[in-house]
Amino acid sequence: MTALFGRAWRVVATALAFAVFGVGGAALGVVGAPLLALSTVDARVRQRRVQRAIHLSCRFFVWMMRTLGLLSYRVSGGERLLGCGRLIAANHPSLIDAVFLLALMPSVDCIAKRALWRNPFLGAVIRWAGYIPNLDAGQLLSECEHRLRAGRCLLVFPEGTRSVPGRHLPLKRGLARLALRSGAPIVPVCIECRPPTLTKGSPWYRVPPVRPQWTIEVGEPLWPRALVPEGLDPPVAARRLTREIERRLGLASPAPV
Amino acid sequence: MLDRSTILEHLRGLLADMFEIEPQRITPAARLSEDLDIDSIDAIDLLLRLKEMTGQRIPAEAFKRVRTVADVIAVLQPLLPADRVAAASQGSPPT
Repeated sequence: MTALFGRAWRVVATALAFAVFGVGGAALGVVGAPLLALSTVDARVRQRRVQRAIHLSCRFFVWMMRTLGLLSYRVSGGERLLGCGRLIAANHPSLIDAVFLLALMPSVDCIAKRALWRNPFLGAVIRWAGYIPNLDAGQLLSECEHRLRAGRCLLVFPEGTRSVPGRHLPLKRGLARLALRSGAPIVPVCIECRPPTLTKGSPWYRVPPVRPQWTIEVGEPLWPRALVPEGLDPPVAARRLTREIERRLGLASPAPV
Repeated sequence: MLDRSTILEHLRGLLADMFEIEPQRITPAARLSEDLDIDSIDAIDLLLRLKEMTGQRIPAEAFKRVRTVADVIAVLQPLLPADRVAAASQGSPPT
């Protein structure tokens, strides 16, 4: 009986959390970020301040979800996320992976897919934050390389989209291409959610029978040029590096459910 | 103009070399993305190599509609007089 009650509560609390997220995102985009923009004429400073506001909001949001009894979480190696010019590469089992990572990083650039730019709740704030649109491949690569060389950290999900429980997606080679061109270290992040929650195709109200736990393990940085032989042409080097990253992240084998 | 099967041979060698694809998988019907795992960044590198190989400007627009190996051959065929390709495959720049 208590289990049923707990699950029912979590459905209600999930609805509440989605509402808070939507309203909060819109408020940041329409009020918060524009106000912050008044504080400086430098676009980069403005973007960092907006990103910091996003970071604090995500920290609050994660705290709220835990306090409402929606989830628990465990982070290890979080300090490896801090530093300059790093490529943060995480797998992507659930809808809120980015929220956890943004809660852990005061300032990071993200690649945002096309649909997000038109999203009524988040479109405005991601513009103010200076996130990178996922447009033409060549332009995307150049822009990302530019940011890394300027010392910015980049958050990427190399699977490209949320994976399905029990099966990782093959990694897209953009990560390897970018790492090899820029020389930036890759910080691998392994995210697990047990039982699987907010996965691709699963509706928001399908909460699991027990409170889910997210585990976020941040690994040691990988140095791309050390992982592939010298002198390979870029397409081949990117393929070898991608396989090596998959191997090290344990993505070559089926994911635990 | 070169005939399609000759172009296919040259293209097969190029793709196998550039992207580590087994040559037998490179057929005219093979789709670049779904069958041969040639992504959009690979396509940029491929276009550059093809420009070098033919010594001609290949507009990116023409290449954007390319989906299969046969489509690539169709783009290349008008650009490949026999002597150019012979020079290119020997590694010397086309005159």
